Amino acid sequence: MRKILFLSVLLLSCPAFAAMDKVYHADTMTLKNGMQVVVIPNHRASVVSHMVWYKVGSADEPKGDGVSGTAHFLEHMMFKGTKAVAPGDFSKIIRSIGGEDNAFTSWDYTAYFQSVARDELPRVMALEADRMMNITLPENHITSEHKVIIEERKSRTDNDPQNLFAEQIRAVLFTATPYGEPIIGWKNEMPKLKKSHMLDYYKTWYHPNNAILVVSGDVTMEQVAPLAEKFYGIIPQRPVPDHIRPVTPDFPAPAILKFESSDLRQPVFIRAWRAPSYVTNKDEALALDILTEVLSGGASTELYQSMVVKDKIASDISLSYQGDARGEGSLWLYAVPAPKISLESLEKSIHQKLMQLVEKGISTEEINKAKTRLIDSEIYARDSVMGPAMVVGQSLAMGLTLDDVEMRPQNISVMTDEAVNKVFKKYLHPVTPLHLPVTGYMIPNGDK
Amino acid sequence: MRFSLAIFFLGILFLYPLTSFATILDIQTVTSPKGIKAWLVEDKTIPVISLRFMFKGAGAVNDPLDKQGLSQVLSNTLDEGAGEYDSQAFQAQLNDKSISLSFSSSRDDFGGHLKTLTKYQDTAFNLLSLAMTKPRFDKEAVARMIESNLVRIRSNITDPEWMNARLTNDVLFNGHPYAMNSGGTLSSLPKITPNDLRTKYSSQFARDNLVVAVAGNISAKELEDMLDKIFGNLPETAKLTQVENAIQGNASSITLYKQDIPQTVISMAIEGVLHSDKEYHAAEIMDFVLGSSGFGSRLTEEVREKRGLTYGIHSGLSEMRHSTLLSIGTSTKNASVKDVIALTKTVMVDMATTPITDKELKDAKAYLIGSVPLNLTSSDRISGMMIGLLADNLPTDYLDERAKKIQNINKDEVLAISKRALTPDKLKIILVGNPEMSDTYKTVLSLPNVE
Repeated sequence: MRKILFLSVLLLSCPAFAAMDKVYHADTMTLKNGMQVVVIPNHRASVVSHMVWYKVGSADEPKGDGVSGTAHFLEHMMFKGTKAVAPGDFSKIIRSIGGEDNAFTSWDYTAYFQSVARDELPRVMALEADRMMNITLPENHITSEHKVIIEERKSRTDNDPQNLFAEQIRAVLFTATPYGEPIIGWKNEMPKLKKSHMLDYYKTWYHPNNAILVVSGDVTMEQVAPLAEKFYGIIPQRPVPDHIRPVTPDFPAPAILKFESSDLRQPVFIRAWRAPSYVTNKDEALALDILTEVLSGGASTELYQSMVVKDKIASDISLSYQGDARGEGSLWLYAVPAPKISLESLEKSIHQKLMQLVEKGISTEEINKAKTRLIDSEIYARDSVMGPAMVVGQSLAMGLTLDDVEMRPQNISVMTDEAVNKVFKKYLHPVTPLHLPVTGYMIPNGDK
Repeated sequence: MRFSLAIFFLGILFLYPLTSFATILDIQTVTSPKGIKAWLVEDKTIPVISLRFMFKGAGAVNDPLDKQGLSQVLSNTLDEGAGEYDSQAFQAQLNDKSISLSFSSSRDDFGGHLKTLTKYQDTAFNLLSLAMTKPRFDKEAVARMIESNLVRIRSNITDPEWMNARLTNDVLFNGHPYAMNSGGTLSSLPKITPNDLRTKYSSQFARDNLVVAVAGNISAKELEDMLDKIFGNLPETAKLTQVENAIQGNASSITLYKQDIPQTVISMAIEGVLHSDKEYHAAEIMDFVLGSSGFGSRLTEEVREKRGLTYGIHSGLSEMRHSTLLSIGTSTKNASVKDVIALTKTVMVDMATTPITDKELKDAKAYLIGSVPLNLTSSDRISGMMIGLLADNLPTDYLDERAKKIQNINKDEVLAISKRALTPDKLKIILVGNPEMSDTYKTVLSLPNVE
């Protein structure tokens, strides 16, 4: 009897509870060598996205050796030849069959993908499996590609002072841990990268038992499984080290960074807090996603409506949560003062606003609206071939399970108001947050 | 081993269905009772509807010269309240039903995009209908959107790629409305009034310059009703100013905006090839081999792969209604700017004097035809492809016809268009950075159309 009562209350307070279903209807299996295989059927067009995700990223690079950027440099060198495929030919072959390919590196994962016509799947699997064990790292190509990644850093970071400042804020937020280092590497450490760094990293981490195959598109597990067995199943497994994710120490003083420059024209206020991630604390992470959706999930929500539309203190404001990490996550507040409002009074108003909201608590109505939007976004997510492969691959590569992804709508709907308000108070309390934030000011200075 | 593998790959190529019998995109044309036309690709597998529309010619090109950014601000304010709903109420209706409604303005056209789940489609169509028939342009919302554009410009001011785009517009289109900053300037934006927005809205949005493309879970019948509801009350004809074609001219030039940064952002452009040109598809192959393909293209091979001088170098044909361009974009450390420009010119000359290889021709065809379905994997991408075809006045079977035409092109045709189009002596080069170079160049001291 009590149980039934509980359920009916739950149904009332949970938006769209009855209509919920698995998000992607993905199938999964594991090869004998430990490589996980996921297939996400989508028969809209006769194309497939084929991805291999390695559960390793720049945060797993060795520490204290004075170099950084190995993970990303290796990702580039994966295109520079194996015993069977000449340097640079990988992408050319993919183009020649009408396909697209690319790769990307993060702190926690590295992924390689190709989108091709369905019939070409066996060929891209053969190519990808080949470079899991056979890369050659030719010296002359290391020399030219080394220059390419240094140019890449210039384009991404060194050429724009705002990006250099963003790099600095992150370094302070995650002081003394790998998440504080840029994926591409520090400007002064990148030139020291050598073949041996990449080779050691490759031999340590690039093994089938540390990789996930995700195929999304016009295929089924029945079709993919024998191919996965044939191309990836023959690669031997090897022991892989644990992923070490140090926790950033707490310091007694809040960190404040003032970037004054004559290059800047727009004052900006930035504040970042460390927070749990989906891997370190699944429930708190989901509560933080709901909280940020309540406060900053579109122009009709609290922060924009109160600070920008009503009080005219800010011209823009947003709060976002980055919970996709194997180690610590983070919360980022970004605000632009309205004309004639100083950064100091903007900061003061934000402080007051957060204080008022934390004390009052978020209402059930607002939380339910946010839940509905988050659940709806999972329906939109199915309207794509590559998108679902990205979400599933990223989640599994960080250390989550397929169920975590598939059951997200259910998990959102059963989250309580108390849990949402609790993480608000715990991580974003303006006076007593669990971890002191880093504050950054961009201050235009001079008449340039 | 390597050789036999290459042969193996070549062998497979022939098996690829280059000219398949199935149509690439099954487009229905729908006409509403009031005579509004739309293209529709129906798909019942996912409960999503993606609708795009465009008022042709109603973009920034038709803004008054002293009100740069008017179209941009109009695109920002059409969803800021309509009918009885003020900004907050309108945005709340959208947000609470997870409906995404946005407007955008290019230099030529004014566009709209509505994406909704089928369960909320009635609300979605209602809100779009209100935005199209009774936009409010409340003073508060207009001021807020103008300020947000000013913030955007002031924030972009440290981005060398953005700076380069400003300068490139000015160099390529000097004297033509395309030279204006479609996003507005720091001084023009504050001059824009709710009345300016009303005037543009009521005179430039009409049935005779409207095109509509819809993809997703909606039937032709439902779409017909919706079309009348949203667009049925628009005026018959748009009042648009005739715009002259922009002429590139033959003079080459190098223009520099000096910035103390470690890398120079480079853009280079010459006259392109029009869609309606009978050599257009040969030009697509030329562009692919030159630089649009990224890896495997001649520019990427020479500049990035062999010498490590850049992270990326790309070429692209682009067409606006009154101009066509072949552009090349890249960036390199200040010390190698001269080398990158010289290499680019050498690659162009080479392509204009020697036929491309059989393999290049074959690979280009395979990609240009085979990659089309990769871009048709979501409702948004399908409606986006259709609105692009409609914008260019192309027929519903264009993708199939294009595949056939590309398939039949030979090396001589590619050489002929390369001779005509790849003319490094006419290249206009725009630099932002601190390049070490000895060529004579014109230095500009402030960015055009920013202040």
